[in-house]
Amino acid sequence: MAERLKPVDVVTIGVGLTGSLMALELAKTGLKVVGIERGAPRFTVPDFQSPAIHDELRFSVRKGMMQDNVKEAVTFRNSSDETALPIRRWGSFLPGTGLGGSFVHWNGQSFRFQAADFIYKTHIEQRYGKKILDPELTIQDWGVTYDELEPHFDRFEYLCGVSGKAGNIKGAIQPGGNPFEAPRAREYPTPPMKEPYFGALFRKGAASLGYHPYPQPSANLSQPYVNPEGLALQSCVFCGFCERYACEHFAKASPQTVILPALLKNPNYELRTNCQVLRINLDNTRKKATGVTYADATGREFEQPADLVLITAFPLNNVRLLLLSGIGKPYDPKTGEGVVGRNYCYQTTGGATVFMDESINVNPFMASGANGTMIDDFGGDNFDHGPHGFIGGQYVGAIMTGGRPIEFHPTPPGTPNWGLKWKQAVARHYNHTVLLQQHGTSTASRLNYLDLDPTYKDAWGLPLLRMTFDFPENDIRMSQYIADKVVEIGRAMGGKAVIRGGTKRPYTTTVYQSTHNAGGAAMGDDPRTSVVNRYLQCWDVPNVFSVGASAFPQNGAYNYSVTIGALTYWALDAIKNRYLKAPGPLVRI
Amino acid sequence: MVEISRRTVLKAASLVGVAALPQSRTAAAPKTAGTQPVAYLFLNSEEAAFVEAAVSRLIPDDDQWPGALKAGVPGYIDKQLAGAWGAGERLYRSGPWRPGTPSQGYQLPFTPAELFRTSLAALNKELAHATPFARMSSEQQDAYLTHLEKGGKDLGGVPSDVFFTHLWECTLEGFFSDPVYGGNRDMVAWRMIGFPGAYASYYDVVDRHGIKINRAPTSIGEDPHGGIHINPGIPAREP
Amino acid sequence: MSVGRIALNLKAVGLIVGMSIMWYALSVAQADDRPSDIARGAAIAAQGVAPGAPACAQCHAYSGASDGSGAFPRIAGQPDYYLAKQLRDYASGVRTNAVMTPIAKALSSEDAADVAAYYANVNAPFLPLKNAKPMLVKRGEQLAKVGDAAKDLQSCNNCHGPGGAGEPPAIPYLGGQYARYTAFQLTMWKRGFRKNSPDSMADIAKRLDDQEIAAVAAYFQQVNASALAATHPKE
Repeated sequence: MAERLKPVDVVTIGVGLTGSLMALELAKTGLKVVGIERGAPRFTVPDFQSPAIHDELRFSVRKGMMQDNVKEAVTFRNSSDETALPIRRWGSFLPGTGLGGSFVHWNGQSFRFQAADFIYKTHIEQRYGKKILDPELTIQDWGVTYDELEPHFDRFEYLCGVSGKAGNIKGAIQPGGNPFEAPRAREYPTPPMKEPYFGALFRKGAASLGYHPYPQPSANLSQPYVNPEGLALQSCVFCGFCERYACEHFAKASPQTVILPALLKNPNYELRTNCQVLRINLDNTRKKATGVTYADATGREFEQPADLVLITAFPLNNVRLLLLSGIGKPYDPKTGEGVVGRNYCYQTTGGATVFMDESINVNPFMASGANGTMIDDFGGDNFDHGPHGFIGGQYVGAIMTGGRPIEFHPTPPGTPNWGLKWKQAVARHYNHTVLLQQHGTSTASRLNYLDLDPTYKDAWGLPLLRMTFDFPENDIRMSQYIADKVVEIGRAMGGKAVIRGGTKRPYTTTVYQSTHNAGGAAMGDDPRTSVVNRYLQCWDVPNVFSVGASAFPQNGAYNYSVTIGALTYWALDAIKNRYLKAPGPLVRI
Repeated sequence: MVEISRRTVLKAASLVGVAALPQSRTAAAPKTAGTQPVAYLFLNSEEAAFVEAAVSRLIPDDDQWPGALKAGVPGYIDKQLAGAWGAGERLYRSGPWRPGTPSQGYQLPFTPAELFRTSLAALNKELAHATPFARMSSEQQDAYLTHLEKGGKDLGGVPSDVFFTHLWECTLEGFFSDPVYGGNRDMVAWRMIGFPGAYASYYDVVDRHGIKINRAPTSIGEDPHGGIHINPGIPAREP
Repeated sequence: MSVGRIALNLKAVGLIVGMSIMWYALSVAQADDRPSDIARGAAIAAQGVAPGAPACAQCHAYSGASDGSGAFPRIAGQPDYYLAKQLRDYASGVRTNAVMTPIAKALSSEDAADVAAYYANVNAPFLPLKNAKPMLVKRGEQLAKVGDAAKDLQSCNNCHGPGGAGEPPAIPYLGGQYARYTAFQLTMWKRGFRKNSPDSMADIAKRLDDQEIAAVAAYFQQVNASALAATHPKE
C-alpha cells in the first residue's frame, strides 16, 4: 500500500532540463515544488572532474551516463507487421538519466528552429501544394508561431550563455552569421568559439561553391559568462570529450551549471533522487490528476499528491507515462484515431568522410561539442523543393567533436576490416580525415508511432514503451539529394577521397545516430491530432503539462535543445500568468 | 648535474617502441612492461591461447608499432569478461527470446562472458580435431577468422559472425582504451595515431591550424612520474 | 657543456635513433619553421645577450631551478611553447614585470625560441625545502585534485595535469614550483594585474581566498617529493 505524503503544489517527473527549469521558475513564485528524479544526484565537483571523466570506454562505449537497460529498455520494430523486440543495449539513441538528464552530456549544439517549422503544414501546402506530400505523411502546425516564441528563445540563450554570431537581427542580415536564420532581437550572449582546423577547411570549401558558412552556435562557451541567475560559466578548453561526457570546467550549459545552484537554494524546492515515478494518478472523472505514485530506491511506494503535474522526463518517457496513466487516447495506426504516441519522429543524419592530404594535421581531438562550421543552405525549406518531390532539409557542416579512437579510426574504402593493412591505414589517416555531418528533418508519418509493448516489462513490472519507426521515403530522398552536395563540398575542401553519406532504409537501432527522439505527445490547436494544446497542457487532463520534445508534431533539421528551452519558457509564461490565477483549460475549443 | 627524467624522455619518445624505454635513476620503475605475464581470471589456458593468437592477427605487430598482443589486449579482454560487463551489466536480459531483424540488434540470451565461453568451447573443440588455432600459420589463422566473420557457422548457439563482432570490438577497445583498463600498454596505440589521451586542454592551440602535437599521451591512471596504475576492475557505472 | 652531457646521456641509453635533440622544440610547429637551437639557447642562458639581456642563469640558475627563495620561478622542464609565449608576452606588454620586461624586449624571437628550448630540455633536481603545515598542504591537495563544490571551482589538475605535471604545449606544470611564486601569480590574477592566460585563470583565482592560495601553492611545491616518497618508501 503506497504511503500518502503531504500534498505539494507542483511535482515534476524528472529533473533534467525541462524539470529543473520549470521548477526554478515556479518555486520563485512561492509554490512548493517537488522534483522526482529516477537517477542519482551528481555535480560538477566532485563527480565530473578530470581525469576520470575523460574515459572513452566508460562513457562513450559502455554508455556510463545513460539509462540502464537492465531496469528499463524500449522495444523496437521497423513496421507494424513485425514483432517488436527489446533494444537490449543502446545504440541509435541514448536516453539519459540522473540529475540533469541528458542536458548534462549533450554536445551543446544550440540552434533555433526556423520560422516555417512551426507552421510546417500551412507553409508547405502554401508553397508547394498538397501534392508534394507522400500519402503517409502527417505533418502538422504546432499551434504556436516563431514570433511568439522569439522572446523565449532569447531568454533561454541568455540563460545558457550561448556563443554565436547572429545572422539576422530584426530582419537585417548580419555578416558572419547564418543568413537563413529566423530573425532574432539581439546578438548572442557571447561571441563565437575559436574555429578549429576542420571548420576552417570546410568554410573555405563551402564558400568556394557559393554557400554561406557560419559558426555553429554553442553552449560550450567561448568566454566566461554570468547568467541572469547569477551563475558563472567558464570558457571551453576544447578537450574533445563532450557528447556523452559531463564538463569538468563549468563551460557547458547544463542544469548543474545554469539552473540547479539557484534552484537548490530555494526553500520552496525539494529534490528527491533515485525515485522512479510509476504513474500519474487521476480522480474518478479521469479529468484531473491527483498526483503521482513513485517507488523510492528501496522499492517502497509513495503517493505524492499535487495540484499540478509536469511531465518533464524526456520525450520517450513522457509518452510512456501518459500511456501508463491513461491520459489521452492512445493512437491506433490501423484506424488513424487517437493521439498519444502519434507522430513519433527522429532525426535524419549521415555525412561524408573526407580523407585529406597527409600534410594536413586535422587534430580532431582538439574539439568542443559545438565548434563546427556549417551551412544552412539546405536546411529546412531554405531551398526550392518544387523540382525535387520531397520536403525537408538538412544542415551540413564540419562538426567534429573529438578524436576518441575506440570509435573514431577512419580508413578509406578498400581497406580490410582488420589486420596489418587496416592498422597501417588507421595510423596513416587518423589525423588527416574530416567528418562532414548532414543533420535534418524527420517528417511525421502515420506509420511511425509509440505505444506500450504487450510482452516486455521494466524492472517494476510495467510495460516497456514500443517504438515502431522507419525513415519515411520522403526523408530518404531528401538525404540522398543532399549527400551529393556534401560530396561536392568535400572535394572543394581538397579532399583526396570523399566517401558519400546519406541515409538509407531500414532504420537500425544498432548504430548511433542521434538522441533527438521527438513527438508522440504532439502540441497543436486540434485535440483530434494533438495531445497537448499550444501551452503544452494536456487536453484531457488540464492540470497535467507534458513538456519537452514529445510535443513536436515533427522534428526540424536542427538539434532541438534550445527550441525545447524556448517552449518551456513559453509554457511557464502561460502557467505563471494565466493558469495559476485560474486553473483550468487554457485553450477552449 | 643534469638528469633526464623518464617523463621528459617519454614526452619526446613518441616513436619509440615499448621495449626501448630506459630506466632513469630518479623515476619510478615503469609499472607496465611488455614482458610481464598476464594473470588470467576468466579465460582458461585453451581460451587464452585462442584469444592471444586471434588478436595477434586482428591487430598484428609491425616494425613500426606493436600490435594487440604486446599492447595487452588479451589481458584487457580477460578482465572485462571477468567483470561487470562480462556478467551482463547494462544488458536487458528478460525473455522471451526471439531472433530479430538486423535493425533490432543483439537478441541472444548470452551475456558477453557466456558468449565467449560458449563460442570458444565450440571452436576449440572443432579445431582440436584439426589444428588448434594457435598452431596454424598466419595465413591459415587469417582465413579462419575471415570464415568466422562471414557467419553461417554455429558455435554452440552463437552465430560465428556475432562472436567475431564481439571479439573484434573487444580488441578495438583493448587496443584504444585508456591503459588503466589493462590494454593499450604504455599507450602504444595512442602514440601510433597521435591521440593525446585523457588529459586535454587545447584552448591556446585549437586555432593554430595544422600544428603538430608530439607530446606523449596521458592516462587517467598516470602519476606525476609517468607510471600508470592499472585498475582493471573499473565498471561502467554512472559517476 | 651541459648540452654535450645531454647528448651523452641520450646515446648512453640508446634512445634516439635518427632524431635530433630538439624534442620540445619540435613539439609545436612554429609559424617560422626554424628549428630551435638548444646549444645556442644554453649559451644565452649562461651569458645573456648584449645589450640588455643579462644571463638567465643569474636569477633562474643555469639548471633552471632558480634558488629556493621562490622570488624567481623554477623554469626547468616547462614546455618550450609556454616559456616562449611568456617571453613574447613580456616583450609585447601583455604580461608585465619590472625585471622580465626589459630582458624580453632585448631578446630577438630566435633568442627567445632557443632559450625556451634550452630550459624546456633540462630537468633540474628539486631542492630540499621546508614544507608548510600538513593541514595547509592537505587543503591544497583537495583543491588541486577535487576542487570546491561550494565555490563552483574545478580542480587545478583538470588543466594542469596529474600532480600538476603540466599539459604541453600550452599549460605549465605547477608540481615543484616554488610556493611563494605560485601564490604571487595567483594573487596577480586575482587582482587583475596578470592577464596573459585564457580568461579562466583570473576567474579561478578570484574564487580563492588568501588561505586557499597559500594552500594550493604549498601543496604543489611539495607534490613531487611526496609522490616519489609514496612510490619509493624509504627502507
